[in-house]
Amino acid sequence: MSRFASLVAPETLHPSLWLASQLARSSGRCIDTGFAALSSQLPGGGWPQGVLIDLLLQQHGIGELRLLRPALQALGRRPIVLLQPPHAPQALALAALGLEPSQLVWIRSGARSADALWAAEQVLRSGCCGALLLWQNHTRGETLRRLHLAAQTGDTLFCLLRPLAAAQDASPAPLRLALHTAPGGIDIGFVKRRGPQRDVPLFLPLTPTLFQRHASLDRSTPAALATRSLLSALVS
Amino acid sequence: MVAMSALAQQAGVQAGMRRGGALMLLPHAQFQQRAAQLEVEAQQAVALALLQFTPQLAQVEEATLLLDVGASLRLFGGPLALCRRVRASLRALGFSATLGCAPTARGAWLLARSGGGRALKMATLLRRSDGLHVSVLPPARPYLAWLEGIGCMTLGQLRQLPRPGLQRRCGRALLDMLDDAGGMRPELYQWLQPPASFRARIELFDRVEQTSALLFGVQRLLQQLTGWLTAHQFAVERVRLLLEHERGRQAGPPTVIEIVLAEPTWRDAHLLRLLKERLGRQELDAPVIGLCLEASQVQPMAPPSDALFPEPGGSKEDWQRLLEVLTARLGAENVLQAAPLADYRPEHANQWVSVQQKIRAPAARAQLPPDLPALPRPAWLLAQPIALLMREHRPYYGSPLKIISAGERIEAGWWQSLQTRDYFMAEGADHAHYWLYRERPSGGDPAEARWYLHGFFA
Repeated sequence: MSRFASLVAPETLHPSLWLASQLARSSGRCIDTGFAALSSQLPGGGWPQGVLIDLLLQQHGIGELRLLRPALQALGRRPIVLLQPPHAPQALALAALGLEPSQLVWIRSGARSADALWAAEQVLRSGCCGALLLWQNHTRGETLRRLHLAAQTGDTLFCLLRPLAAAQDASPAPLRLALHTAPGGIDIGFVKRRGPQRDVPLFLPLTPTLFQRHASLDRSTPAALATRSLLSALVS
Repeated sequence: MVAMSALAQQAGVQAGMRRGGALMLLPHAQFQQRAAQLEVEAQQAVALALLQFTPQLAQVEEATLLLDVGASLRLFGGPLALCRRVRASLRALGFSATLGCAPTARGAWLLARSGGGRALKMATLLRRSDGLHVSVLPPARPYLAWLEGIGCMTLGQLRQLPRPGLQRRCGRALLDMLDDAGGMRPELYQWLQPPASFRARIELFDRVEQTSALLFGVQRLLQQLTGWLTAHQFAVERVRLLLEHERGRQAGPPTVIEIVLAEPTWRDAHLLRLLKERLGRQELDAPVIGLCLEASQVQPMAPPSDALFPEPGGSKEDWQRLLEVLTARLGAENVLQAAPLADYRPEHANQWVSVQQKIRAPAARAQLPPDLPALPRPAWLLAQPIALLMREHRPYYGSPLKIISAGERIEAGWWQSLQTRDYFMAEGADHAHYWLYRERPSGGDPAEARWYLHGFFA
């Protein structure tokens, strides 16, 4: 009987055990993502702090900052470091997202590409920053492991934003999400998480601030109709 | 012969030998002339560095420094830990020394002059010193033959001689020194006064062409700086490191590396880290032959008060220190903070300045427009707007763009660079949002207006 119970609930044996069909429980601290649909799909119910989070972007400027906005706001007044962003960040837009200009630090890559990784490690090891967003194009496996180790020394929210092609490569990050554009928001694909595999991307309505109230209207309704029925022919 | 290398010692060279005798044993030996001036400078450098352990430091005969550490023992964790730190500090300076530790200054001096050692109790000190040879004491040296003649070879035997007779024959100084060592007489020393301003320089052994090889010299200078700062109870705000180049025909002005600290410090670890990163970036035009360190701005030391419940994000000083290290390696132009300006033109409103500039958060906040959430502004702003192609009367960027917002007319900057633009938000076929503008030529045909891409909504 007791053996059977431990099979049903392996977390009673050890907190870091879970069944393949259930979400793992997070050992570290998490920040709520601000989107209930997304939080319910993540182990621990939010963005994990002090680990490497791999965000794979279809292209730059598809709503990655809007996705992170509630979590960055929840950090309070702690500094947020933007390391090697693809374009110049606009303080006005970030202030509209709720981030104070005084808490933003923009670090440009110096002459050497290794400088960005060095800076990331320094920021993570110091543990003074609330969040570190690092943009990279080509990252090697040992670099990722090193960054992941450095992230574990503190509780910084550390997101590595890379192109979608990097999804093919292995990564030590416990959470890897692929972000695609979608009408009226973004589609989040779960490349890797401590939980069951999910092939259907999760849709989050995320429009630039001004059009928030029209978000649901802009989106075309998913046509859940039987094929070859009269109605579907009319719709198409 | 005053000093020799270990190799020479193995070959049989001894102190007190003549040059010819040493040459017979080692035909290829190299000799260095003893330089009294350099010895004095070295002793002063060590004295300055050791001021970090105690303010009471005296220079006495035979190249010995006396440190009164009675008040510092608890702070540095006991005599053993203190000795270890003194030794580490001396090693960082590049000198070798013998340490003696005793309850009386003269006792410590005796131990140091006879091979070093620790005697923490008076009884131990007396027992140790009783076995020492009388020639350790400088006042006894003229009377060595006489002392040997009466069979008095050690300090213990010297102590047992009748005092009036000893004083009549050998003078007062010998008795005083014995009494000092035994703690029977108060000892008076002239404590060293640190100089009012700090400037230390060292000559390098060779012409150095790589900055990484300068680190050892920098570390040595920082040891002296730490000692000087501790003695004056100062914290340093600004240091200058001068890299001196060749004199003579190719003489050039020294290369100056200036480091400004946001938070004054008096510890060398952070300064060493900063100087290391700065030296790594520095390109040397000419070989360096000397280093000079100056403390150009100091202020009274304010030790931090430890919080009972420390903040999770680390202290403000940690954050400043991190920014300084980042700036030292990446350059001030690459570590930026937001300094928004109240300007209608997006390029001018979006100002980023070096983190070394002091900007008050309320002042930066006041520069933001009041109706902030209603303004469509993209998070990524292109440094240079991209001129867009037109296809089927629509701007084209990867796909035809669909305008999805009312226009925002920005017309400003007649005093500088006139901008007459209508900004729109657009959506591409990939459902990403773009920030476009149409340039309105002043007085021209509106049909000739060109479209530009200026940002991405991230």
